[in-house]
Amino acid sequence: MTLADLKTGKSGIIVKINVSGALKRRLMDMGVVTGTDVIVEKVAPLGDPIEVRIKSYALSLRLGEARQIEVEEIKNHE
Amino acid sequence: MNKQNTPFVNQELKAEKNDLTIAVAGNPNSGKSTLINAIAGSRLQVGNWPGVTVEKKSASFDFQGRKITLVDLPGTYSMSPYTQEEVIARDYLVREKPDVIINVVDATNLERNLYFSLQLLELGIPLVMALNMHDEAAGKGFRIDEEKMASILGCAVIPTVATKGEGIGRLMETAVAFADASEAHRPVVISYGDDIEKAALAIEKSLKDHPDILAGHLPLRWMALKMIEGDARAIENYKAGQYAAVAENATRHLRSAHGEDLEALMADTRYGLAAGLTREALQKPEKRKRELTERIDAVILNRYAGIPIFLLAMWLMFKLTFDIAGPFTDWLDGVIGGPLSRWAEVFLTAISAPEWITSLVMEGIIAGVGAVLVFLPPIFAMMFFITLLEASGYMARAAFVMDRMMHAIGLHGKSFIPLLLGFGCNVPAVYATRTLENQRDKALTALLIPLMSCGARLPVYVIFTGVFFAAYAGTVLWSLYILGIVLAVLMGLLFKKTLFRGEAPVFIMELPPYRMPTAKNLMIHTWEKGKHYLIKAGTWILAISVFVWFGLNMPWGVESKKDSYLGKTGQIIAPVFAPLGFGTWEAASSLLTGVVAKEIVVSTMSEVYVPETGEEQQEESPSLGEDFKEIAVSFAGAFGEAGKNVFSTFGIATMSAEEEEGTTGLKTAIAKVFTPLSAYAFMAFVLLYLPCFIVLVAMRDEFGTWKWAGVTIIYQSVLAWVVAFIIYQGGSLIGL
Repeated sequence: MTLADLKTGKSGIIVKINVSGALKRRLMDMGVVTGTDVIVEKVAPLGDPIEVRIKSYALSLRLGEARQIEVEEIKNHE
Repeated sequence: MNKQNTPFVNQELKAEKNDLTIAVAGNPNSGKSTLINAIAGSRLQVGNWPGVTVEKKSASFDFQGRKITLVDLPGTYSMSPYTQEEVIARDYLVREKPDVIINVVDATNLERNLYFSLQLLELGIPLVMALNMHDEAAGKGFRIDEEKMASILGCAVIPTVATKGEGIGRLMETAVAFADASEAHRPVVISYGDDIEKAALAIEKSLKDHPDILAGHLPLRWMALKMIEGDARAIENYKAGQYAAVAENATRHLRSAHGEDLEALMADTRYGLAAGLTREALQKPEKRKRELTERIDAVILNRYAGIPIFLLAMWLMFKLTFDIAGPFTDWLDGVIGGPLSRWAEVFLTAISAPEWITSLVMEGIIAGVGAVLVFLPPIFAMMFFITLLEASGYMARAAFVMDRMMHAIGLHGKSFIPLLLGFGCNVPAVYATRTLENQRDKALTALLIPLMSCGARLPVYVIFTGVFFAAYAGTVLWSLYILGIVLAVLMGLLFKKTLFRGEAPVFIMELPPYRMPTAKNLMIHTWEKGKHYLIKAGTWILAISVFVWFGLNMPWGVESKKDSYLGKTGQIIAPVFAPLGFGTWEAASSLLTGVVAKEIVVSTMSEVYVPETGEEQQEESPSLGEDFKEIAVSFAGAFGEAGKNVFSTFGIATMSAEEEEGTTGLKTAIAKVFTPLSAYAFMAFVLLYLPCFIVLVAMRDEFGTWKWAGVTIIYQSVLAWVVAFIIYQGGSLIGL
């Protein structure tokens, strides 16, 4: 699944980033690297972009980019 | 010049340098700007980095008897070569090699900030870390072991609270001491793993024999790592092109093993170290509290409330910007048109200046100064609110809320604010594009701003709707605003596919925690912007005003405006407007002067359609004392009115909205010359053709080039003509 499929409030681990070049570097520089935990915090009122919490800060990105980021959902053990 | 600073004395002589250059680097939202203000205050100089629109702040001052030059680098997240800001920061550090770097780090967001610090440390320049917002981190229950950080990183770490000026003195002392003992600087060496290290060593070895690479300015290891990362810009720019083959050889097997992921591997390594360091040095409370920012965002970014709150905030900002600025604009207008003009006239009469000189001074120069000054209040107000929105953290939220809509026409969420301000006045709106980071988004937004119908166009609409559409004036007015917006959407789509094709916009933006902006920061930013406008744009505006005076009044002594250069030009270009329904020299001349300011279309029309009958009545000249009193009283009045406007937000017209006085003659005249159809075509033309030249100067000022002003001139002329043509000819066809 991708980061765009992750429901609000759910978290996952980034497993793969399917972009290259400048965009990939930009994502990496903002902390979007494989093995990192990410939580989807919010969806903008108009449905796009989304806000995620990563490396203890809030990052927003468009669904277009989020679809390129593969994640593995972390199931809550509640 | 100090002898110790001559180029012949290099590092080998351990003499203290008298002049020190300190670069300040850090992530956006790390409080870097506040820290710079705390250090340099009013000594700060604000300009642009050469050739780009990125703001450059610097300051020179004495500290402990040394001459310090402080240079603020653009806020960046990385040292990669992909954004303009990153390239500027990197080129500066590599080429100018400052004596020491102050790295501002947000203590509440250690890991991501350290990722950048590690890249800075690789440059081999002594580094002092300002662990900023220390109080905020403490408030969250964070305990940071600065000594441990310093010893792991091999740099100095000083806790600071820039907003309160805490730790600033110690920071500066440490920075100076570090610059003196630069050879003692032993930064941490990041190990990228055997494969990469082996390749790096191989490249370093072959580079070692070639000291010509930036004259030994760069650490060879840094160069080698950049080559391995495939950083083409580093290789080309730092005169290492000839070593591309070396890099190619050394990295071939690396690339075949890791492919594209080589860069990712290196980023992972840096993040690994940043994460490790954070674990070592930072103790967080067991349970993460739900922070104030999250609680505020739960409301502000709420699914249902988010947009209404955003619209309310925007409406308030718009009203406040123009309602606060309005009375001061009127005051300046009054002082320049009243007492100042009178004094100039008295003076010119006293020295018996020739009539044309008097006219030049009064209508060219003083009017030009007036044109410069009246924009100052809205620019101050705009900058104040933009800084407030940015410093508080709301700007990022505004972009978050609006991005979907703006993205549809190829813009960025942050484009909304400059466009909105455009309805008040296009000039501050153009300056407001500085809130956009990306050059593409900025230029595209600026191009669309003139389609937002500003307050100065309203007097034109008011006259024409008054004459031709009195019964449904409101609807006609609205239709013009809507026309501008619809065309902005269409032009946005067109530009996206043409001028800006291939430049993929990105929206990967931090939502920083809400923070209280400091008054000092707000004042400095607002003041600097106004000053910059006065000096940079003011010169151009004044020059163009004088030029326009020539057009209006030369050849000297013409009886009718028809024979002035302006009137003659009007006669020549009038046929161009014939298919639009207003091919008269009067209309053409009025449109020409409208380039000075759109409301002037009305006053020119009064002059050309209603030739003056007899001398204007001479007013009784007040004494100098009365003049001063009037200036003071009206200034106080402006304050009062601005204050009142803040509270009573309804029903106050923004700039230039009121109908010009004494227009009855003009109304009768245009009723004869125009038909309702040609009047509407004319209004559409006024909406769409060139913005006033102040806007063009602002574009040149903001972008450092005439390019975008040029594009605006061309596209708007064509657009205005085509739209007015469609309206007039289409209307005629269906028998309107």
